[in-house]
Parts: sequence; structure tokens; C-alpha cells
Amino acid sequence: MLITCPYCGPRDVIEFTYQGDGNRERPDPASQNFEAWNAYVYDRLNPAGDHNEIWQHSGGCRTHLRVVRNTLTHEISSVAFVRGDHASGARRKAEDRS
Amino acid sequence: MVERQSPLEPELHIGSHGNFEHGIEILLTETRPGSIVQLAAWPGEEKNLMTAIRTVTGLALPDGAGGGLSDGVKSVFGFAPGKFTVADDAEGLAAAFAEAVTPAIGTVTDLSHGRTVIRIAGPKAEWVLAKFFAIDFALTAFPVGAGRSTAHHDVFAQIQRTGADQFDIYVFRSFARSFWKALCHASEEVGYEVQ
Amino acid sequence: MSPRRTHTGGRIDRLKTIRFTFDGVAYTGHAGDTLASALLANGVTLFGRSFKYHRPRGLLTAGVEEPNALVTVLKGEVREPNIPATMVEIHDGLVAVSQNRFPSLAWDVNAVNQLGGKILSAGFYYKTFMGPVFGPLKGTRFWMFCEHFIRRAAGLGSAGSAKDPARYERMNAFCDVLVVGAGPAGLMAAKAAADQGARVMLADLEPRFGGSANWSDETIDGVPAADWARRTVAQFEGRDNIRLLPRTTVWGYYDNNTLAALERVSDHKEQPAKGEPRHRYWAIRAKSVVLATGAFERPLVFPGNDRPGVMLAHAAERYANEFGVLPGERIALFTNNDSAYRTAVALKKAGAAVVAIADVRPELSAEMRKLATEAEAEIFAGHAIVATEGGKALSGVKVQRFDMVTGALSGDARSIHADCLLMSGGWSPTIHLASQAGAKAEWNEALQAFLPPKPTQKWAGAGAFNGHFRTLEAILDGRNAGLSAVGATVTPMAYPSIESLPCDPSPAPVFEIRAKGKSFVDFQHDVTADDVRLAHREGFVSVEHLKRYTTLGMATDQGKSSNIPGLAIMAEALGKPIPEVGTTRFRPPFAPVSIGSLAAERFGDLKPDRLTPMHDWHVDNGATMYSAGLWYRPMIYGLAGETVEQAYVREAKATRESAGIVDVSTLGKIAVQGPDAAAFLDRVYTNMFSTLAVGKARYGLMLREDGFAFDDGTTWRLGEQDFLMTTTTANAGKVMQHLEYFLDVIWPELKVHVTSVTDEWAGAAIGGPKARQILAACVTGTAVDDATLPFMGIVRGEIADVPVMICRLSFSGEMAFEVYCGAGHGTHVWEALIEAGKPFGLVAYGLEALGTMRIEKGHVTGAEIDGRTTARDLHLDWMLSKKKPFIGSAMMDREGLIAADRLELVGLISLDNRPLNGGAHIVEEVDEANPHGSIGHITACCYSPALGKHIALALVKGGKARHGTRAHVSDPLRNRFGPVEIVSNHFYDPEGTRMHG
Repeated sequence: MLITCPYCGPRDVIEFTYQGDGNRERPDPASQNFEAWNAYVYDRLNPAGDHNEIWQHSGGCRTHLRVVRNTLTHEISSVAFVRGDHASGARRKAEDRS
Repeated sequence: MVERQSPLEPELHIGSHGNFEHGIEILLTETRPGSIVQLAAWPGEEKNLMTAIRTVTGLALPDGAGGGLSDGVKSVFGFAPGKFTVADDAEGLAAAFAEAVTPAIGTVTDLSHGRTVIRIAGPKAEWVLAKFFAIDFALTAFPVGAGRSTAHHDVFAQIQRTGADQFDIYVFRSFARSFWKALCHASEEVGYEVQ
Repeated sequence: MSPRRTHTGGRIDRLKTIRFTFDGVAYTGHAGDTLASALLANGVTLFGRSFKYHRPRGLLTAGVEEPNALVTVLKGEVREPNIPATMVEIHDGLVAVSQNRFPSLAWDVNAVNQLGGKILSAGFYYKTFMGPVFGPLKGTRFWMFCEHFIRRAAGLGSAGSAKDPARYERMNAFCDVLVVGAGPAGLMAAKAAADQGARVMLADLEPRFGGSANWSDETIDGVPAADWARRTVAQFEGRDNIRLLPRTTVWGYYDNNTLAALERVSDHKEQPAKGEPRHRYWAIRAKSVVLATGAFERPLVFPGNDRPGVMLAHAAERYANEFGVLPGERIALFTNNDSAYRTAVALKKAGAAVVAIADVRPELSAEMRKLATEAEAEIFAGHAIVATEGGKALSGVKVQRFDMVTGALSGDARSIHADCLLMSGGWSPTIHLASQAGAKAEWNEALQAFLPPKPTQKWAGAGAFNGHFRTLEAILDGRNAGLSAVGATVTPMAYPSIESLPCDPSPAPVFEIRAKGKSFVDFQHDVTADDVRLAHREGFVSVEHLKRYTTLGMATDQGKSSNIPGLAIMAEALGKPIPEVGTTRFRPPFAPVSIGSLAAERFGDLKPDRLTPMHDWHVDNGATMYSAGLWYRPMIYGLAGETVEQAYVREAKATRESAGIVDVSTLGKIAVQGPDAAAFLDRVYTNMFSTLAVGKARYGLMLREDGFAFDDGTTWRLGEQDFLMTTTTANAGKVMQHLEYFLDVIWPELKVHVTSVTDEWAGAAIGGPKARQILAACVTGTAVDDATLPFMGIVRGEIADVPVMICRLSFSGEMAFEVYCGAGHGTHVWEALIEAGKPFGLVAYGLEALGTMRIEKGHVTGAEIDGRTTARDLHLDWMLSKKKPFIGSAMMDREGLIAADRLELVGLISLDNRPLNGGAHIVEEVDEANPHGSIGHITACCYSPALGKHIALALVKGGKARHGTRAHVSDPLRNRFGPVEIVSNHFYDPEGTRMHG
């Protein structure tokens, strides 16, 4: 499986670390809402189809990526930095794209 | 000034090795820069950091992910969004950047001891590196000056292409000897020289 | 001249004689021969014994699909079993032996299994070894009892146990177009793509490119096809945009057009060149792929179809045309299609007598009749072969009238003398890689074959792979595929002129002749047509179940020749058409792959080692090195004649009495920098760091989100916005990822950068009553007295002209300091400390003494922070700040995490003065016969020189409440039982007076 890192380009999955379900919402740190914390820490979707995932390019630029992956076909329909403000870093040069 | 010890020393055997009867196709050296720093900009401050790099090193970074260049003495390349590695034959980069990179721009981390730079050059450099890294080393995909972050199993590596058939590989110092041995081993079939 | 070698022809080099042995007999062959062709040329017909029945077997094929002629190749002490003789290129000194026979290939005692054929039918093992329901051999015990004997009798070659000295390598490759198969279609595809300037890789599993052109006897543009192929390849050489990979099997097609291939780099050489690997595993990422993998000819299923001398028709053509070897002198053919007639003509030309052609089709075209006449063969239209005769070689066949619609045989069987029978059951495109790539094959009624599916990845097919069996089609297909692979417009081309014999590719839909006797479907696994029908009678209706029950297609050849015939027989038994029965999905690998190539460089000495800056000093000074993860650390610095225990006791004692020094460079070190660094650390650690003064350090504890303990260490504030965090050695990578995750995903608004600086610093911890004096003797530029350097204080100075950072903190419980310097100066500073320590009795100590002193102090490490313990369990609740939320704070007070009966950290003292063991259980009452009632377990243990006792740390239910009570260790695996006293984990100097000085 290849994941196209917005900074490094397409790389083998061996360079990436799965960092969990991308749908989780971390409650306010001071919140004592146990249900919300429990859902954040333990509840996971297990969809057959597109799945919103977080991967770290741990063997490369080390940024975290939001990856939409189809769990049936492994097809990846989108990859983006989790941090919106990294967009300015994603300046792939023309020759890297070819 | 106390000289720094190379992590490769007991395994650094100057001379020709391997299957060199038909010629040497790989040159391996430890470049031993005097200083290596990592610079990281806060979001939105990349341009200012690139300006600071130009001020300190005289090197004008091209735009683009992994962009970089080298003048033979100083080298710089991007390895992650807003992050750059700079190396200089002379010591003192960290101090120089501590002035130029204000806290509003980003941070300076001295890695002069923490990274070891191994240079692989020669007509078979791409061939030997392909044994280690799953990235495309062809000149069209990896132009001169550019940098790449990748890994060989547990060994993280930043690689800068400093010539058509020359690459500088920045590895963690603790892994350097092991990686060096593997690099020598992989170069045996084409014949290599350690300088 | 060998008995079967033709006088001319073939692509072998007759001037080069090669000497090799098979089963100890010396033979000669020519350069370009395979082991199969060379032995065949020497008149050898018997190549192996079959898997189950030990029937004599000869060559069935000439290529990678060979199921019968498997040999073991010996290189020195190393043996490589189960290699098809058809894939072994001979070289001087080659030593090969046959398999699965005792005492010899010709006289095999297990051939008696043939008599028990009825018993050894499909499912024999499942049925037999369910075992009796009672008695000493009940259930699987019966199988376990018999297994040894069965494994000896059945099976293939045996693996060796000698260390393989060969090199294996992995290569990563990137290309625009990967062309798999270098027959006419593949060659054209590669040429078309390369002419467009694309980066092309061309792989073929044979040593010679050309595929069928090497043996087809056709001409292309006026020259023999083999010469055309050679010329085309010659144009590739020297071009830098095309990489040629002969002897390379592309065996796996994975997601995102990633393919795996095995290149046999030096198997065909007597000795590899210096540094040259034996095999190279290619991981190829191709933008597009051209599959030009050709087709496999199918055997026909009839009684005695496995006798040595029965061979696929095209294989004989290959032996004759490509290797200059005749598989027999009197040749009969049996076919359901036209392609065998071409074979008859070729063999006639090569000098054999073609005695008969049995064709299941009653009506034959005039063209085929003409070819038969040319071959001077007698035609038996509407006939079938119903038996073969002979022992270890064929002596004759029986032919009988056959109705291909009803399958009925009629009239008398006629015997025909022949020493070779060639069969052709039609052709199956080699669609394995396309199937691996993800889509279902489609049945083609006219070709009686599964054709490749519509691509689900970026590939295009060409030639026989597409069911286009004519060379002209292959050439046109190949060019089109090559052009479309690089996105070029397919322009019309001038058709090459091709001279070939006429051939209608559609076979008659006949797969099996049902007559008395064993008819083999899967030759390698000895599966007969009756086995398939038996499976059907026993209720197996799914093709996937059929495969597993009969093991059809599950041998090393993966059913390359048996898949379709087996399916056809199953379909007939079910009364369904073949496409409704469906086919199994092919899975990697296409052909066997050496384990060495998969392990590649990552074995033996080439796993990465992490070495500290002082590594060589440790080794030179007698350290026994211990691998901790990837790191190497000194375990002890043993003196001559010392045991490990004597050494660490001496080291620990000396440290507590005077001073000791230990290399702590392996501790994870992370630079945490930026205006929000302090705020970030407050969120990450359970305790406060924003209140820490510059120039001071603090011990910190991290929890996971779920509230369990994660890691601990000290963090030093070097500047207002500049912290140096230390982690445990084992968790350095995990903590780094943890911090990066929170900064990138959860708190992107925080201006903090984290960088691994583990390798930037060399660290030495020096502790003991004399430690401060030693530092005072060698540190310049700063004082190290209590006022300048209080507990948890940090100073900067120099040792032997090198800048150092010194923090006063203690793991050993003694007055201790951690001295950090640039890694490149590590040995220099370490040696200066050793020198300064000499008058004070300083000793270097290793992990064992380090562990001993930490157990005496009751400090926790990874053995206690094991992912199941909380801060409270470890008595670290004093570190849980109530003033702020932190990672894990919301979850740490869950009911289950604060229960009274949780395992808590305690100390244990052995009351019988015997050593304790890590992992041993703690019980209230010992029951050696029936160990039970565990209340906890030991996490770490040692002999404590400070206490003069064997002690341990343990996690025990109720913990503190049990202090001062007795319990027992219960360790049935090591047969260690005995009384212990439960005490506080702080065994030694609990008030900390020693470290505070």
C-alpha cells in the first residue's frame, strides 16, 4: 500500500504508523463528562468502506495525515495534513509529481 | 579544541574494497561537518526562516517541499513542513542562528554531535541506495540539492542529493556505525573505496 | 554425442561442455541446458517419485509449471530442495539429487503405497486421524503418534540445517512501465514504451528473453523468430531507460501497482562474484504494468497419464527446438486441439518418428490432416488414449474409439509401441498476477479457458495472456499495451510478416477420458480424477473446499497444470457449467520464493545496532554487552573468574562505598522548545513544569489517555522556552510519537517543537559518597558544592576542555550527578572522569548493578510501568497534580483503577535465602501439586549487597496493607517455592539521606 504524503510524495506504508480513528473528538481537558471521555478513548467505528484515519509519516517528515481509506479495497481517496496550517509546506515541485 | 570522535572509527577502513577488479563504482566518506542544526519555523514563518537561512549561510533556498542546495561548504534542505537541516564545514552554526532566528520565527536545535553524515558517490550510488530506501533516486524524481526524509528499517535518514551521483545521508549517530557497515556490505558487489 | 541430442538446432552452445552430477552419476551437457534438458539428452527418463504413492515420474513440462521433476540442489553443506529440474541451469560442478525415494530413485520401498491406492484417497488423513474416542491414542494423540512415520514417507525434498552462506538482497525500484514476460508480446510492449522515453523494466523468469519465439520454429519478417527476439533484445542493451531482468520471476501483485519479483542472480554460476547476491528481491512500484505472461498448456486426464515419457506437447517442442533434445524416438500424440500438430511436425523435423496422433475430435480440418501427413503420423480421429504401458519409462499406449459428446469408449483398444506420449488439453492464459491484483477471471467458452478480468489496477494485458495465441496477435497486442501504458496514442503499424503453421486455438471441451486406472489431475499432490469425484460424493460443492479437501493445486506448483482439469471434473460431477463452479483466486507467490530473499539484508549481523558514544571503551574495558532493544549496554565489567552475580555485587558495593559511574547515553532525550513549551509539559506530565526554574530539573510522570502510567523521567529547564526531556530507554520512540501526536492533532495552536536529541548527548551518571569529590577534581568553570549544585540543580562547566552540563539527580540513591556532553566528546569526558576517580576508588558499573541499586531504592522502570499499572499502584499518586488537567487525568479515577484489590508495588525479602525469579507468582498458601491462588507476581529481583539478602519488587493485591506479612513464591515452572516477607518497596535509605548528602 502506498500513501501519498503531501510533503514527501507517495511512500510505502512501511514508513507510516497508524495513529487511530480520525473521527474521535477529544473532550475539553477539564471536562468530567465520563461518557464523552469513554467514547473518545474506547469507542471506534469499524466501517466496511471509507474510513477516516490518522497516520503519522513516522519514517519520513513525521507529520500526521488525515487519510480516507476504503477498508474493503485499500483505496485511498484523500490524504491531507491534520494541521491545516501546514498547507504552506505542501509545495510539491512539478518534477516530484511527474 | 578537542577533536570529535567519529562513531565509525573502528569500521572505517581507508582503501579499496569488494569487487573492484573492474573499477571502483562507489566512494564512501564521512563528511564530518563542523556543525549541523535543525531549524523549524512556526506556521506562517517559513519565509522569514528562509530569509534567516540566507542571511547566515548565503544560501537562497528554493520554494517547494524538500527543496535545498549546497555550495560544497554549507548545505541546507527542507525535510518536513517548515523544517530544515543546515550543515556547515565550520563550527558555530547554532550560535549564528540563535541570533538570526528569533523566538517569533521558530526554533534552533543543535545536532552537530547527534547526526553523522555519510557521503556516497559514484556511478552506482543510486543502485546501492536503492537496496536500503524505498524512494526513487532517479535524477528526474530527486534533483540535485533536494532533500528527502526516509527510513531503512529502524534507521531514520535524511538524504540530500549533492551531485548528479552524490548523496549525503544524515543518520542518528548511534546508528551510524551499523548503517556504515551495511552500506559497505551493500557496495561490495560493485567495488568501493573508503576515503 | 548423448543418445537423445539432435545433431543440429537449438539455442545451446554445443562448443561448451558442462560437467555435473545427478544422484551421484556424472553427466555432461551444454551451456544453455537446463538440468531437465541435459538429463533428457542423456537418456534419463525417471526424475522423481510422486508425493503420496511414490509412483515413478518423469518430466511433464519444460518450464516453471513442472510438477514432477523436483530435485534438491546441493551447494557444499547447503541443500535447496524442491526445485523443478526445468528451472535449474546447469553449470560445472552442479550437484543435484532426486527426492522422496529410498534407497534409490529406481528402487523405492515406498512404491508399495501404489497398492494401497484406494485407501490413500482424498481425505484419508482427516478420516483416519480423528483417532479413537478413548484409549491411550484417543483424539489427536493418534495423529501425533503416526505423524513421524507419515512425514518420513510422504512429501518432498528435505530442507537442510546448514547455515546458508549466500547473500540475499532487496532492491527498491520505480518505473513507468513494468513488462512481465519477454515473449514476442512483452518484447514489443517494452520496445514501444521505451521508444516513448518511458522508464521500462522487462522481467522474464527464463534466462533467455524471447519466450515462445525461442522454440516456435516460426519466422518473423523473414528471420527465424528466435533471431528476431535476439535482435529486439540487442536494441535494448545500452539504453539507460530500460532495465532488463532475466531469470526474474514476478511473483506478487499488490495494492497500488506494487509488485514483488525474485531475481536469481547467481544460481546458474559455479561461484557468485565477490559481493554478488544469490537472489535479489525486487520491490517494484510501477506506474503501469504490461502482463505478457503467456499461457500454460494443460494435460489431459486419462489412466496412466503420469508415466515417465508422458509429456506436454509444447514441452517436447521446446526440448527439440530450444535445447536440441528429443524426448523420444517413437512419439505418439494425444490432443483435443490443433496445437499438437505443430508439435508433430517439429519433432519429425528434429528426427523423431511420429507414430500416431490420437485426437478426441471426430472431424479434423484439412489443414491438420495435411500437417499429420507431413509428420508421417497415423491419425486416430475421434479416439482417445485409454492406457499407457511400461515401468520407469513408457513402452506403449492403448488407443480406443471415443465419443467426445458422451465420453463413451467403444471398440477394441489398440496397442501402439511408443517411448514418448505427448498430450495437449488446450491452453490456459497465465492470469495469476491479474487475479492477485484483485479481479475475477472470466470463462471463455470458445477457448475453454479463464481469461483475464477487467483491470482493477493500472495494467494491460498482451498476447497469449489475453487468449491471443497467434504470434501476430501477440506482437500487435504488445505494441498497443506498451503505448497505452505510457499514455501514448496507438497508431497503426505495418504488420510484420509471420510464417507459421495453421492452428485454430479452440480446443474440444474434453478434459478427461474415464477408463479404468489412476488418472492424475494434480501430479505433484497425487490427486486423481476419482479423488475429485469422491470429494463431490462426500458433499463438497465449493471449489474452495474441494481444493482444501483434496489438496488439489496446493503443492509447490500451485496447480498451474491441474487447476482447470480439476475444475472441469468437479463441474461435471456437480452437473454445472464450469463458470458457475468458478475458480479459486490466485494468491502470491506465483512460484516459490526463497526465504533468504524475503529476509534479505535484515538478518545475522546486519540488524541495526545502536551504540553509545562510549561503546568501544566499554568493550575494551571488559564489559559484557547486553542488547536492550536495539541498544547495546554494558551488563557487567567482569573481572577474571567472576560470575555475573559476583561482578554486579562488587560494582554496586563499590558505588555505595565510594563511587560508581554508568553510561546513561541511551536514555531518550527530547528537546522541547518554544514559547508554549512549559504549558505543553503541564498538559503532558501529571505534575507541574511551568513552575520549574531555569537551571533546575524535575522528575515527571506521564499517563496515557486511558489513565494508566506511561513513562517517567526527569526534564531539565535549560532556558525559559527550552526544555530537555529525558525518557526511559525503551520508551523513547513511543514518547516522541505521543508528543508529536498531541502537538499535531490535538493542540495545533501550541507553539512547541519537539526534536529527538538522544544522539546529541553522551551521558554518564556518577554516584556514591565520593562522587562530588571526583567532580570537583575534574570540573572547571563551575563549582559543584551543595550551594551551587543543589539536588535537582543544573550547572554548565568543562571537563578536560570540553563543555559539559551537570545535573544533580539520583537513580542509585547515592549522592549522584548526570554529566552530559556532546556525543563526539563522550569517550573523552568519560575517560577524564575515570581518571579523576582513580584515587577515590571509582568503578564503572553496568546494567546489573544499576538494576540492583534501583531495586534497593524501590524505583520503578518498564517492568513495573507495564501498561497495566496506575500511578497509585506504583505509589506515585503524590505526583498527580490537582491544579490542572493533564493527559489521563479524566480517566485515571475510574472505578476499576482505584479499586482496593488492585496490584500494588511492594518489596519482597526471600526468607529462605534463596534467589527469587522474575515472573514468579506470589501466593498466600503454597500448593506445589496444584499451584493456584496468585495474589501477584515478581517484576524484578536481585541479590542486594546493601541488605545482604535476596530481594525483589512485586505487584501484589492489596499491596501496602500487607507490609510486614508473610507470603510465598510459587513458581512451578522453575520448581521454586518458598516463604517471603512483604515489605515496602523502599528497601534502602527510605529517607533519602544519602542522596541529599
